[in-house]
Amino acid sequence: MTGAFTALGAMVLGVLELLGGLAILAARIGRAVLAFQLDRRETVRAFYNVGVKSWAIVALTAMFTGAIMVIQAGQFVSKAQATSFVGWAAGFAVLAEIGPVLIGLMFSGRVGANNTAELGTMVVTEQVDALRALAIDPLVYLVVPRFLAMVCMLFLLTALGDVFALLGGGITSHILIDVPFRVFIAQVVEARLLDEYLLGLAKGSVFGASIAVVSCYYGLGVSGGAVGVGRAVNNAVVVAAIGIFFTDLMVGLAWSQLWGS
Amino acid sequence: MGAAAPEGAGGGPVISATGVVRRFGGVPVLDGVDLEVRRGELLGIVGPGGGGKTVLLKVLAGLLRPDGGEVVIDGASLAGLETDGRARLWERFGFLFQNYALFDFMTVGENVAFPLEQRRPRAPEDEIRARVATRLSEVDLPGTEALFPNELSGGMKKRVAMARATIADAEFLFYDDPTAGLDPVTSSKIFGLIARLHLPRGVSVVVSHDVDRMRAICRRFVMIDRGRVRFDGDLDAVHASDDEMVRTFFDESGLAL
Amino acid sequence: MGLLIAFRDALGLFFATWRWTFRGSLFRQRKVFLRQLHDIGNRSVLFITVTLGVLGVISVFQVLLQVERILPEFSVVGPAFIQTMVREFAPTITGLMIATRVGSGIAAELGSMVVTEQVDALRLCNADPVDYLVAPRFWACVLHTVLLTVYGGVVGVCCGAVVAHEVWEIPWTSFFSLRLVELSDAASGLMKATAYGMAIPIAAAQAGLETTGGSEGVGIATTRAVVNASFAVVVLDFLLSGLSFLLWFQGR
Repeated sequence: MTGAFTALGAMVLGVLELLGGLAILAARIGRAVLAFQLDRRETVRAFYNVGVKSWAIVALTAMFTGAIMVIQAGQFVSKAQATSFVGWAAGFAVLAEIGPVLIGLMFSGRVGANNTAELGTMVVTEQVDALRALAIDPLVYLVVPRFLAMVCMLFLLTALGDVFALLGGGITSHILIDVPFRVFIAQVVEARLLDEYLLGLAKGSVFGASIAVVSCYYGLGVSGGAVGVGRAVNNAVVVAAIGIFFTDLMVGLAWSQLWGS
Repeated sequence: MGAAAPEGAGGGPVISATGVVRRFGGVPVLDGVDLEVRRGELLGIVGPGGGGKTVLLKVLAGLLRPDGGEVVIDGASLAGLETDGRARLWERFGFLFQNYALFDFMTVGENVAFPLEQRRPRAPEDEIRARVATRLSEVDLPGTEALFPNELSGGMKKRVAMARATIADAEFLFYDDPTAGLDPVTSSKIFGLIARLHLPRGVSVVVSHDVDRMRAICRRFVMIDRGRVRFDGDLDAVHASDDEMVRTFFDESGLAL
Repeated sequence: MGLLIAFRDALGLFFATWRWTFRGSLFRQRKVFLRQLHDIGNRSVLFITVTLGVLGVISVFQVLLQVERILPEFSVVGPAFIQTMVREFAPTITGLMIATRVGSGIAAELGSMVVTEQVDALRLCNADPVDYLVAPRFWACVLHTVLLTVYGGVVGVCCGAVVAHEVWEIPWTSFFSLRLVELSDAASGLMKATAYGMAIPIAAAQAGLETTGGSEGVGIATTRAVVNASFAVVVLDFLLSGLSFLLWFQGR
């Protein structure tokens, strides 16, 4: 019995420590961004790396996501004899919810995990210590550029991914549920999903920020050689996934408050 | 099971590598290595770090496939071996890996017993257990069977790995940097073990930077530098060598102690 | 291109895993198998609870915000939500989470074993890494993905029901209704869970066993495992959704 309580206590402390660490790192990043403290060359490189690494997998994922949503929505609307709703239903689900979440998860796997591995390797091979010894702040040199790149890129990738998702959805509806491509697109346009589109983009940038903070936190906290790097990447993607779902909920609630009033 | 093993030293080469090339990501790590080892030899391989010593050892053991050249062991080319033949060959090998390579999901006892348990036909359980206990006390770790590798210090792991590599009395014993990061006393013990476990009809190959301790047990040295054999011969040949680097390498290592 | 090569290698690994399974790998490696069962379950239950719970809350919330504009009453929301959960979100989101949690874990573990030469040592002792390392993880993952899908679905539906009840005052009995769930939905969900359960450990093990280099290599392998396993889930979802649509829906 005491064992269970000890374990529970340890878990609560662990979660609190994690949240505290993330908050401190986020605050330091925020201050540096506001003060415009960043290494310009590293920032350009980070933007390039992040974008090049992830756009293809994001576009592919988005296309499949759109297709899946059309199939799922198709089962409802064809049963209800309401195929005119398929554009709205699939478009709504993709733009407001599933698109940003799946793109975010994929981005976390590709860019976030990679970032943790990269920073972790730099820690293990003492490159971060070397930077400090040269009086270069790792936050300014390594973290802030990656943070900015991830926030901006996930915003752009969500915007791009949405297009691919609708493309995939349109093709699928054309082939599978007898709603021609052009009709599907017209339905999406008519459904006036601008609000949902913007909501999705807002989610994308917030996901980008949380993925960046989590992946940098775990990357810089690596210890214990190659095994440690693997473990850090594992933890980073898990916490980033939880972060995506929680911030999704938060942004959704905040949006509905703003929009409802 | 190959040709009948001739007793004692001498005879033809039992391991021979010709023109072995191995690249990683387009970069040649081994760049045409020729090497012959006879039965009964206890060979020392030395050379600067990153020169390809570990890769050479793994190519000779058939763990890495060469991109060019050929390795022949006991008359059979490694490249021509089917899965079965390779399995038969690997039963005659013992390998001490640089990073210990102890299975972290097994206890020390299970680790050391593992090569024996993989043998067909399998020895009775009691006999395996007895041999493990004997070998573990020979490396000064009696009664550690139930521990897990992550409960051991670096030197202890190395000695467990020694026990596992040698438990099956393999003909071909390869040691990849057996004393890296160990204190002098343990290092001397390990080199003593290597000399003691060397079979007169077998082959032992030691890769190490510890030239001083190698002098005591190895008769022949091979120096690998940038993927090639830079020197091959005994200590007299080292002193007679007109290659500045070879002489410095052996002298420097001698002076370091 | 890299994805295609990975796919080819993964396919080879998949068949090798079945081959070793038929040769009794699970019985011989029962200790590893049981430990994997314990580890994978232990590692994922809390994670699945949190993510699927939050998912249930968000989905019901978003859907009801829309539905209240176009429908007079909400009795269809619960059953339709449960149906979508069964055939789509429970398996797929659970799958993605397992790809993240378990997939990256398997890759990190196997990658570390490659880097510390344990895999070489296994081979030299004539022990096949697939037999010793992959097959037990594969079956533990298949079993857990199916079980956790069921569990995650229940968690998601319950959390959604709480939102529906507390915010929109939909009665419990009207929400918890299986009247829209058909056998085909359950079959589609189970089929997906099984397929994800097989694809994830294979994608992850393939990435892990191909680790090269030191600590950097393990990091790269872990990253690749997450991406490949998640992508496999998305593609399989598309294929299986399409298949079940053609099989069970269009025919009617």
